[in-house]
Amino acid sequence: MSPRIRIALLALSGLILLPCAASVIAGLPAFGATIAQYGERINAITPEARHVANMVSAINFDLRGLDTLGEEFMLLAAITGTVVLLRGRRGEGNTERAMRRPGRAVIPRSEATVLACRIAGPLTCLFGLYVVLHATVTPGGGFQGGVILASGTLLIYLGEGYSGWRDAIHSHWLDALEGGGALLFALCGLAPMLVGAAFMQNILPLGTFRDLFSGGLMLVENVGVALAVTGGFTQLFLEFMEETREAEEPDEPGEESA
Amino acid sequence: MTALLPLPVAIPLVVCAALLATAHLLPGRVPDILAMLAALAVAFLSAVIAVQAADGPLVYWFGGWEPRDGVHLGIGFSVDAASGWIAAFIGLLYALTFVFAWGFFDRTHGHFHILMLLFLAAMVGFCFTRDMFNLFVWFEVMSVAAFALTAYHLAESSLSGAINFTVVNSLAGFLMLGGIGLIYAQTGTLDFDGIAAAVAQGGRNPVVAGAFCLVAAALMIKGAIVPFQFWLADAHAVAPSPVSVIFSGSMVSLGLFGLAKVSAVVFGGSDQVQGALPMLLIGLGSVTALLGGWMALLQRHLKRMLAFSTISHAGIMLTGLGALSIGGTGGMLVYVVGHGLVKGALFMIAGILLATQASIDEIALRGLGRGIWPAGIAMALAGLLLCGLPLGTLDQGTRLVQGALSQQGHGIALAATAIGAALTGAAVLRAAGRIFLGLGPDPGDEAGAPSADEREKANRPLWLMLAPCCVLLAVDVALPASLIAHGLPRAVSAFMHRPEGGSLAEGPGWLPWVSVAAALAGAGYGLFRKHLPAFVVRPVRATQSAPTRALEILHSGLIGDYAAWLAVGVAVIAAVLAMV
Amino acid sequence: MSAVTSVLPYAVAAWLFGVGLYGIATSRNFIHLVGCLGVCQAATYVLLLGLGYRWGSIAPIFYDHPPGTPAVDPVMQALVLTDIVVGATLTALLLVLTVQAYKRGGSLDPEKLRPMRAGGKSGRDQGSSRVSEGGQQAP
Repeated sequence: MSPRIRIALLALSGLILLPCAASVIAGLPAFGATIAQYGERINAITPEARHVANMVSAINFDLRGLDTLGEEFMLLAAITGTVVLLRGRRGEGNTERAMRRPGRAVIPRSEATVLACRIAGPLTCLFGLYVVLHATVTPGGGFQGGVILASGTLLIYLGEGYSGWRDAIHSHWLDALEGGGALLFALCGLAPMLVGAAFMQNILPLGTFRDLFSGGLMLVENVGVALAVTGGFTQLFLEFMEETREAEEPDEPGEESA
Repeated sequence: MTALLPLPVAIPLVVCAALLATAHLLPGRVPDILAMLAALAVAFLSAVIAVQAADGPLVYWFGGWEPRDGVHLGIGFSVDAASGWIAAFIGLLYALTFVFAWGFFDRTHGHFHILMLLFLAAMVGFCFTRDMFNLFVWFEVMSVAAFALTAYHLAESSLSGAINFTVVNSLAGFLMLGGIGLIYAQTGTLDFDGIAAAVAQGGRNPVVAGAFCLVAAALMIKGAIVPFQFWLADAHAVAPSPVSVIFSGSMVSLGLFGLAKVSAVVFGGSDQVQGALPMLLIGLGSVTALLGGWMALLQRHLKRMLAFSTISHAGIMLTGLGALSIGGTGGMLVYVVGHGLVKGALFMIAGILLATQASIDEIALRGLGRGIWPAGIAMALAGLLLCGLPLGTLDQGTRLVQGALSQQGHGIALAATAIGAALTGAAVLRAAGRIFLGLGPDPGDEAGAPSADEREKANRPLWLMLAPCCVLLAVDVALPASLIAHGLPRAVSAFMHRPEGGSLAEGPGWLPWVSVAAALAGAGYGLFRKHLPAFVVRPVRATQSAPTRALEILHSGLIGDYAAWLAVGVAVIAAVLAMV
Repeated sequence: MSAVTSVLPYAVAAWLFGVGLYGIATSRNFIHLVGCLGVCQAATYVLLLGLGYRWGSIAPIFYDHPPGTPAVDPVMQALVLTDIVVGATLTALLLVLTVQAYKRGGSLDPEKLRPMRAGGKSGRDQGSSRVSEGGQQAP
């Protein structure tokens, strides 16, 4: 199909959809007028029922925890897929050492960079931990904190160089972190069933409202998500970085067919 | 007993997380065994749940958040007998696929099994859930696992096929999320029953219609309905054969299963939606059945042929859905199972040819299948079942769908289901004759179809690959029809949230035979073209070539074209909804 | 509030989706195409957050404000959080696929990377020629 026909098709369907979209928008409640009963209700009962201040975390880890479980495993699927697809060509054998690209100059880093990274790295990780642990009190949570923690590890690369980074980070550990975190989250769902409660029912002591220790089981789930996200995102960085180091070679066999 | 409900989802998730955490420590075959056991456990538990649900749907509230004062606070699973049996069928299909793929994926640290188990958990969650957003989450988990599995071979074709698949299905996800946002704003809840109650009170409402339009478009994209079908041929043809078994056997039909549930349960109370559905579903379904069948007949790449055949059968399922009756939906649900069993077996045969003969091209393989004749017998049987041989579960589903259509006087759709099945059967039988009997030295239009050769590892004995394929066919043939006919009306009325009523009508008994005869004639024409008199061959060839070329140009493999057709499809759905 | 502001976010969402789709339909570069897909996804963010907003409400976090203060819809915010994860996963996967497709096909142009049609030739031209195994080797 030529691009012109394609655009004509798009324009035609746009013409049909425009009045439909207009009537839908006209039928919606005016922006900012009201919110749905479901959200209103959650705002009303959750602070008392679960002793948490952050409603979004309460929904993600308690009321609609199953969604987050699915989301966590979606991330796991994507990262496993990324590893399979990127590593397939290089093969498994090279995962434990840093690959070098022949002919690429190693540019010495300035001392200022090294120092800045050595200072900022631990601070970033500390901030990540803070965001993870205060999920039930202030904005944040396992996912956001996990991403901050993972980006903290990138500062090792910036400060210590690629091989230094690869010495500190091992692919198997990341797999274990990612799988272990997801497993912890899934087991948080199953464990309450052992005592006759529902899947992911919050049976731990709920703690104090506006305190670090509030929300009961949510804190454990949150740690699981943080571990999985840290491991997963670091794995992602590692695989993409390794890709830039790859020497130009003729096609190697795909992963499973050698 | 309701405590069992989360387990079919949780077990594969736990196993796959544990596999990922320990993969590099586990010895060779442990991931294969664990994955197979998990799939069998899912099948068994789902079957137990389905039996328990025979008297009425089982409901489970996650986190113990039961509805308070009529407000649904948490996420629920609601499993009726039909959903339970579909999940059990999916578990069985996965277990057999793991047997088929035994040792296929070496050196992968179990990554293949991790992705497959996630795929399985998402499918079961999709069947069980009663929450719109949870439905979306499982829809997306399914998609993400599928995207990665498609490109597993890392060949050029599989990568570009996977990109097309990813982009189109991501757009489907966004449409669905938009629809969920609209319906949530309108009804203030995400629970199926809560939305249904609010929708039933509302009367004609553009927001509800808009929400349905977006959600239905998303599910039809997953279900590969014209004009959303383009991604399927690209993706199924290039995915590794064990993955294609799952794609064609369950993923596509699950999209339509979701559409059946959403349109019957969630939007059951909207007269506008219910008024638009027959025209929309039967019209699109008939076109899909014919187009898919015609395209299948024109292929030489076996997996691409089977992919188009899946499109055709998805169209047939959609027409059953469009009857909006207990019989039509029941027939469609039976059809999902029967089609999954037969199509799964056919993709396994394609995988056997890839592994043993190192090719997937019908013309290149001519006569090469003689050494593995048992596979040939299985392929011929599967081809006959596909076109409507009155035997087994697929035939039962076909008869119920055709019965519902003829009861409501949809003559054209009835003909489309018969012709679509005949065309796909003809394609498979022609390929079987050419590969296993060495017939048809002179290929027709199919020689011009795109093809890319690929190979899969030949490290498995023939019997190991053939056994799961034969089990699938045996299950299709041997499932007692009386048992299904007995339990079906009740299960479907629970599935559709409708009172039981009336007996299930079956279509005319001669219709499947017509399909079989047409399929044999079509296959015969393809194989013995040289021996036929010129006055038969010439007009057929003259009328075939132009539309063939046009259709092949339409299936261009260009993502831009697919996006344009996607917009057209959404516009068609919106226009039909607006006209009612 | 005026009539314009009462529908503006929804109109913006529809516009974003349409523009993203136009970009996907006309894109000649896969990286650009991934960006366009991101634009389509931004439409869902705008729509969901717009639907969950209420004038004069606080964020649904009752730390500085006591419980009971009018807050916006927390459900929509949680849904958007999930949506963002979906976006991240899709972008990562698509970029990986693009990187690998570029290595094999030597191009980022969708026209040149059509499945089963090596080099963008029409199907008929290469009907009988077999495309190379694309990295597959028998043992």
